[in-house]
Amino acid sequence: MSKNHKAAPMVDEVSEFEILELAVRELAIEKGLFTQEDHNAWTDYMHTLSPIPAARLVAKAWLDPEYKKLCIEDGVKASLEVGIDWINQMPTKFGTPSDYCNLRVMADTPTLKHVVVCTLCSCYPRPILGQSPEWYRTPNYRRRLVRWPRQVLAEFGMQLSEEVEVRVVDSNQKTRYIVMPERPKGTEGWTEDQLTEIVTRDCLIGTALPKPGKTANDKRYVRPAVNPYGH
Amino acid sequence: MVKINPEKITLDEEMSKRNLDKSSVTLLEEVKTKGKVWRDLSKKWGVENPDPPWKITLEATCDVLSEVSCALPGVERRWEEDELTDEHYKDVPFPERQLLALAHSMIRRGLIDEDDLKRRMQEVDKRLNMVE
Repeated sequence: MSKNHKAAPMVDEVSEFEILELAVRELAIEKGLFTQEDHNAWTDYMHTLSPIPAARLVAKAWLDPEYKKLCIEDGVKASLEVGIDWINQMPTKFGTPSDYCNLRVMADTPTLKHVVVCTLCSCYPRPILGQSPEWYRTPNYRRRLVRWPRQVLAEFGMQLSEEVEVRVVDSNQKTRYIVMPERPKGTEGWTEDQLTEIVTRDCLIGTALPKPGKTANDKRYVRPAVNPYGH
Repeated sequence: MVKINPEKITLDEEMSKRNLDKSSVTLLEEVKTKGKVWRDLSKKWGVENPDPPWKITLEATCDVLSEVSCALPGVERRWEEDELTDEHYKDVPFPERQLLALAHSMIRRGLIDEDDLKRRMQEVDKRLNMVE
């Protein structure tokens, strides 16, 4: 190890929340709600999840019209080419209600923009897109996007002309969605790896557009719902 | 033109009619008040990771409760998380409020007992803070 090597900073205190998380888990195991092995299997699976496979799927489709056709016709089959097996990779080995084996890939066109929501809870294509961001889970986003999609997208920094139709797709326990945005100008001659880098998580939800040089999601302020739950 | 799915509106009504006991849980109120959230801890210690290390095990707990034991189905947990957040945890950041809501749901559903949880937290606290 180099003399100049410094260990990365770490949080050197235990919070009440860390204690609560562990205590809940231990009690649940003792009560027989699940086993430690079940929990380990799901934790290992969680560690494998990220938005990269979905980004690669889009990049491949931009480069290969036949693959794009497959993505639109059969998202689950197309996922196999980016290393995601919706059925057998799950700890259950047969998919789950939370990550149901039906992925639809919604291709944008110059006059059609898709955006994904889950009005009911926070269904999300985790096997191919990783964990959902906080704002996606909020009632504020879920309620307002279906009512005022154009305005909500504008809040995300996306100003769409009136000629562009906005289509909101509502995830549920049977079907999950990702958006295939249009390939941006300025990426001619790019490799699949280069293209994958600019397809961010937010592009795949539909709240951002890919852009050369932009490889990270913007930070979002999370707003509370104006009318609380049940009103 | 976006069409609102009437099926979803019915579900929304159904959710609001459910009889979840939303009264506060003393133990969780204490955690909410005293607990240091990751946002503050990471800033204090100069850590860049946006999520606490326990977030992934929390997610796994939510999944196994739904997928393995069916003790707390995912969609019901999320409905209750929304309700309880509105009622008790709206000022708590994420994922701390997800954890508080999960513990709240489990107590109110009788999956775990508040006194047992309090005792277990004391044991875990002792264990995690053991110096030698």
